[in-house]
Amino acid sequence: MACTLPLQLAMVTKEGVEGVLNRVRPYLRADGGDIELVGVDGNSVVVRLTGVCAGCPSAHMTLHVGIETALREEMADFGTLRVA
Amino acid sequence: MTTPQAVSMDSLVVGHSARMKAVFEFLRIIGNSDSTVLVTGESGTGKEVTATVIHQNSRRRHHPFVAVSCALFSETLIESELFGHERGAFTGAIKDRPGRFEMAEGGTIFLDDIDDVPLSMQVKLLRVLQNRTVERLGGTRTVPVNVRVIAGTKRDLKQLVSEGKFREDLFYRLNVLPITLPPLRERPEDIPVLMEHFLQRYFRRRGEDVPPVSDAVRQALIRYPWPGNVRELENACERIAQTCTCGAVRVGCLSAGILFRAGGPSLAPPPPRQEPTEDAAARVPSPPVPAPQPMAPVRTTQISLDDRIREVESTLIRWALQASGGNKSKAAELLRIKRSTLGDRINRCGLRHEATAEAGG
Repeated sequence: MACTLPLQLAMVTKEGVEGVLNRVRPYLRADGGDIELVGVDGNSVVVRLTGVCAGCPSAHMTLHVGIETALREEMADFGTLRVA
Repeated sequence: MTTPQAVSMDSLVVGHSARMKAVFEFLRIIGNSDSTVLVTGESGTGKEVTATVIHQNSRRRHHPFVAVSCALFSETLIESELFGHERGAFTGAIKDRPGRFEMAEGGTIFLDDIDDVPLSMQVKLLRVLQNRTVERLGGTRTVPVNVRVIAGTKRDLKQLVSEGKFREDLFYRLNVLPITLPPLRERPEDIPVLMEHFLQRYFRRRGEDVPPVSDAVRQALIRYPWPGNVRELENACERIAQTCTCGAVRVGCLSAGILFRAGGPSLAPPPPRQEPTEDAAARVPSPPVPAPQPMAPVRTTQISLDDRIREVESTLIRWALQASGGNKSKAAELLRIKRSTLGDRINRCGLRHEATAEAGG
């Protein structure tokens, strides 16, 4: 789908990232886990898994891929994601 | 060609939805018939499983079941695949080779993706279905074949007919016993049952018991629209069984695609995103499938067994009346019940009006 994003949406903002995280938070919290935004640095985003899923490689993969895809879809300027 | 897995009616997990139950009842009814079946359903809804079940429950079960995807072959190859060829029929035809129809002798042939058969080939297929004989490519001999034909398609054939992409006469020849398999998103109440079933299969394969599954996972699976239908759900369960390390199935075990689509940009129910043609295919009329059930709450607290049974019963009776043009004796025969029993049931289900309307129309 070709649509031009307004400028503010193209930029990586804390609010924008939180919006993406909030899409999956209810599920994570229901399972005793959570995801935390550590920080936004330019185009890079760092998040951290907490709670029960924190040590699980599978959850790590799921969230890394999922959040990265969602961020890329919503923010044209998005660069990299690190899951701490 | 694939070899069928032994699928008995009882071992099959179909779920609780009235639609699937109706499909299942229909399969029981048509098992012993030799008529052509047309299975319509989106990718992953179980067309081949359905074909296998029909075969396994027919008197042809001790004969071959041959499944061919018509999408696999080019226009020239498909004729030789289906009907075989004689030595020298074309470059590379170094020996005689029987076609899939001959290989299925006495049994059932499942022609999947029938809509992918090119128009020129459709005429030939029609002849085979009408005369029950095949002629090998480059041959002059006519070989009689005793094969039950089940055709499968993802698309609405009627639509393709109106667009001139599918021969009308072939459509009518195939559409004798139509079955429409509902997409998984239209029967979300079946998702938990299917999930348990697949998790059990894949955890057992690893020699493990199924760990407890969190409510969040169930919710996510129910909210997800499953464009790949049951096949996609099966794959998701296989993934869970392969990656779960913590002794409990939690949302982290799901794939990113499922979790994020289930979460969605908004918390509104996700919009259907199927292609219109596929969607239309799901609505092909005629098989005895009750109207889609309203989205069931995640944990249905109560269902009325009697009501559900009556629902299935009246759907099938309606179908039989329609199929027999309102002739109750014929309808009773189709349902394998006595004529008098049918009368009673028609009254019980309150179908008297429809019965007379059908006879009048």
